Amino acid sequence: MVWIGTIINGVLLGGLYGLFGVGLALVFGVTRIVNIMHGEFIALSAFIALAISALFPSAHPLFLILPVVVISFALGYALQAVFVNRSMRLPDPMAPLLLTFGLSVIVRNLMIEGFGVNPRSIHQGDFGQLSIDVFGVQIGVLPLVTLALAVVLFIALQLVLRRTEIGRIVRATADNSEVVRLMGVRPSSVYNIVMGLSFALAGVAGLMLALRTTFTPFSGVERLLISFEVVVMGGLGSFWGAMLGGIALGVAQLVGLRLNPNSGFLYANLVFFAFVMLRPNGLFGARQ
Amino acid sequence: MLLEVTSLNAFYGDLQALHDVNIHVDAGESVALVGANGAGKTTFLRCIAGLIEQKRGGIEFKGNEISHMPAEKIARLGITLAPEGRMLFPSLNVEENLLMGGLSRRPGYWDLQSVYKLFPLLAERRLQMPNTLSGGQQGLVAIGRALMANPGLLLCDEISLGLAPVAIDQIYASFVRIRVEGTAIVLVEQDVKRASSATDRIYCLLEGRVTLQGQSRKLDTEELTRAYFGT
Amino acid sequence: MKRLPAPVLTLIIFVTLAAAAPWLVGDGGVGLLFEVLLMLAMAQLWNLLAGYTGLVSMGLQCFVGLGGYTTIFAANSLSISPYWVLPLAPLVCGLVAAVSAIFLFRLRDAYFSISTWVFSEVAAMLVFITPGFGHVTGMTLETAREIDYETFLLVNFWIAAGLAAGIIVGIYGLLHSSLGLGMLSVRDNEIAAASIGVDVWRNRFIAYVAAAAGCGLAGGISFMAALFVNVTTGFDLNWVVAMIFIVIIGGIGTLEGPIIGTIIYYGIRELLTNVFALSGSWYLIALGAVAVTTMLVAPRGIWPFVRDQFGIEWLSISRKLPATAGDGSPNPKASISTHQPSRTRRA
Repeated sequence: MVWIGTIINGVLLGGLYGLFGVGLALVFGVTRIVNIMHGEFIALSAFIALAISALFPSAHPLFLILPVVVISFALGYALQAVFVNRSMRLPDPMAPLLLTFGLSVIVRNLMIEGFGVNPRSIHQGDFGQLSIDVFGVQIGVLPLVTLALAVVLFIALQLVLRRTEIGRIVRATADNSEVVRLMGVRPSSVYNIVMGLSFALAGVAGLMLALRTTFTPFSGVERLLISFEVVVMGGLGSFWGAMLGGIALGVAQLVGLRLNPNSGFLYANLVFFAFVMLRPNGLFGARQ
Repeated sequence: MLLEVTSLNAFYGDLQALHDVNIHVDAGESVALVGANGAGKTTFLRCIAGLIEQKRGGIEFKGNEISHMPAEKIARLGITLAPEGRMLFPSLNVEENLLMGGLSRRPGYWDLQSVYKLFPLLAERRLQMPNTLSGGQQGLVAIGRALMANPGLLLCDEISLGLAPVAIDQIYASFVRIRVEGTAIVLVEQDVKRASSATDRIYCLLEGRVTLQGQSRKLDTEELTRAYFGT
Repeated sequence: MKRLPAPVLTLIIFVTLAAAAPWLVGDGGVGLLFEVLLMLAMAQLWNLLAGYTGLVSMGLQCFVGLGGYTTIFAANSLSISPYWVLPLAPLVCGLVAAVSAIFLFRLRDAYFSISTWVFSEVAAMLVFITPGFGHVTGMTLETAREIDYETFLLVNFWIAAGLAAGIIVGIYGLLHSSLGLGMLSVRDNEIAAASIGVDVWRNRFIAYVAAAAGCGLAGGISFMAALFVNVTTGFDLNWVVAMIFIVIIGGIGTLEGPIIGTIIYYGIRELLTNVFALSGSWYLIALGAVAVTTMLVAPRGIWPFVRDQFGIEWLSISRKLPATAGDGSPNPKASISTHQPSRTRRA
C-alpha cells in the first residue's frame, strides 16, 4: 500500500519535473540552443517569488503566479534580445551554449551574493502542508495542484502553437528561419518571445518548487540536470514526451528514495541512462 | 519602372558572384532570367529579396532604395520570393503554409479563397502536410504562398525544377492569371524555351554578368546559345 | 647558432622556472602555482576533447574525483606512501572512461554532453553510498605520516609542473602525428573524414580515455596534496566549469589558449579575492562577464584574436607541403595549420 502511495506521489512529482523541462524543450525546439541558464532561472524565480510574497504576506501563494510570470517573461525576453541573439549570429554553433553557460555562472553567483547561501522557503499559510486522503493514501494538495497546473500549461502551450497565428509563426521560424523572413517575420523577435515564454514557464516551476521545499542559489544546477534529462528523454523539442519523461523520473526518484534515503537523484539518473541507451532519440524522436 | 537594379555586385566571402549587373522590370511585366548553373541567377534574386548582405550597387523598388534593407522589410514592401527548392514549412499543413504567406496582410486580390480557386487541388488537400504532397503539388503551394502576400513583384526561383511536365504546365498556366491581376514576375529558369514563351523580356547571365537582353519573342537562338554558354 | 623554435624555447624556459620556483616565489607562491599547473593540465585535456575532437564534456570532474579517491583509498589500504599508488589513478580512470565510452559514444552533441554530466553525478552518488569510502565524511590520507612534510609541497609542485608540461608536449606531439591529423579531420568534418577512412570512433575513444586518465592523475595529485577527499570536492562541477571558462576565454582549439586562459582565470581570482578582498562569488561573476564578452567580441577566444591581429605564432603547428608535386610540376608551397577554422553555421 505504501508503494502505491509512493508511485502516486512520484507521478505528481513528475508534474513538477515536466514543468521544469517544458521551457527548455520550447527553446530547443525553436532555436536549437541548449539553454544552460534554464536551471538558474528556476532558482531565481523562486527568489523572486519569495521577494513578492514578502510584500504581500497574506496573499494566497497561487496569486504569486501572475507577477512571477510577468517578471520572468520580461527577463527572458531581455536576455535573449541583448545577449543570446548576438551569439546566434556567430558562425560557431557552440557559441550560444557557451554564452548561456557564462551567463548562468554570473546569475548563480549574483544570487549567492544577493540572497546568501542559507536555505529559504515560502510560507504562505498552510497551503504547502495540506493533504487529502484518497483510499488511505495521503496525497499532498500542492503536488496535485502542481501536476494540474503542468497539464494545463502544456495544453495551453500546444493550443497556442497549433491554433494561433503567433504559434504558426513560431513553428515556421523553427522550421526555416531564413524563408520566414521572406514573409516579413524577424526571427530574432520570435526568439525573444520564445525565450520570454520559456522563462515564464521556468518561473511557474520555480514558484511551485519554492512552495514545496527549501531552496538555495545552488538549487538551479540540480534542476537544470533534471530539466535536461526530461527533455532528452522526451525527445528534444517534444512537450508531451517531456511530460512523460518527467513522470518516469519522478516515480524513479521517489521509489529510489524509499529504497535508500541517501541516494539523492541516483535512481532517477540511472533510469535516464537506461532510457537514453534504449531510445537514443527520446520518446518522440528528434525533430526532422 | 517597378524595379531598377544598377551596377549590382554581390559576394560570397572572397568569391564575387555578380559583376555590375543592370536589370530593370516595369510594372506588370514578366521578365525571364536564364543561364547555366552557377551563373548567378539565384544570387540575383536573393539580393533583391534582401537575403544577401555582401553586395554593392543600387536596387530601387517603386522609387525606394532597398539595397540596405533587411529581408523582412522588403517582403512587407511587396516583393515576394518563391525560393529554390520550394522550401515549404514541413511542420505546417498546406493551409497554414498559405496563411504564412499572407502574414503581411497587403491588400489585393489574392487571399485564401482566390488561391484555392486558382489551384483547386490545394483546396482538396488543405490540411495535408507538405511531405505527403507530390513535387508538383508542393510547387503549387509555393506559388500560392507567395501570392498570398499580394506582391507587386513576384520572384520565382526555378519553381519547376525536378517537376513533371504536366505539373510545370499547370504552374505556367497560373502565371497568366497572376499577370492579369497586375503582379510583375521575374522568372528564373534553366529551360529557355518555357521561359521565353511565358515572358515579355529575357536576360541571360553567365558567370555573374548579363550577356544578353531582349524581347522574348524575338530571340535569336544562336545569339542566346553564345550568351548562355559563353562560346 | 640557429634560433631555437618557439615551442622548444618555451619548454626550456618553463623547466628552468619550475625548478627555480621555490626560491623565486616562496611557499605561498608555490602552493598557488601547484593549483594553477594542475588546472592548466586539466584545461588542456578539456580542450583536447572539445577543441580538437569535437566532444564537449560536462563530466570530466568525474575523473578528478575518481582519481582522488583511488589514490587515497589505495594508499590507505596498502598502507604505503601515496606516491607509489598515484599511477593507479589514471589507470582506473582510463578504464572507467573506456567502459563508459561504449554507451556514451552512442549519443551525439547535446545528448552526449548532458550524459557525461549525469554519468559524473551517478559516479559521485555511487561512491557516496558505497561503504568503505567514507560516505559524507570522505577519506583522509592515513599514511600521511609516511610523508616528509618539508619536501612534500615542493615534490608535489614539481610533479604538477611535470604533468602540465608532459600533457602539453604530449598533445603537441599528438597533433604532429597521423593520429592527430585524423582527429583534426574528424573535428572539421566528420563525414568527410570517415569517407577517407579515418576511424572516427577510435579517434574519439583515444582522446576521451586519455583526457580521463589525465584528469584522474591531476585529481590524484591534487587530493594527495590536500590529504583529504570527499564527494563534494572531488566530483565538484566547478572543476569542469573552470576548465570551460579557461578554454573559452583563452582560445578553444589552440595549445596556447588554455595557457592564456589559466593565467587570466587565476589572475582574476587572486586579484578579486586577495587584493580586493571580495567574497568568492565575485571572481566567478567577473570570469563570467569576461567569458560572455569574449564570446561576443572575440568568439574564438583571446589567443586566436591576438594571433590573427598581430600575426604571432607560438606553439601552433604548421605543416608545409613539398615544394613540387610528384610529377615535377610546380606546386605553390601550402601549409595546413592546426588552428580551428571558423565554423560555418549549419543551415
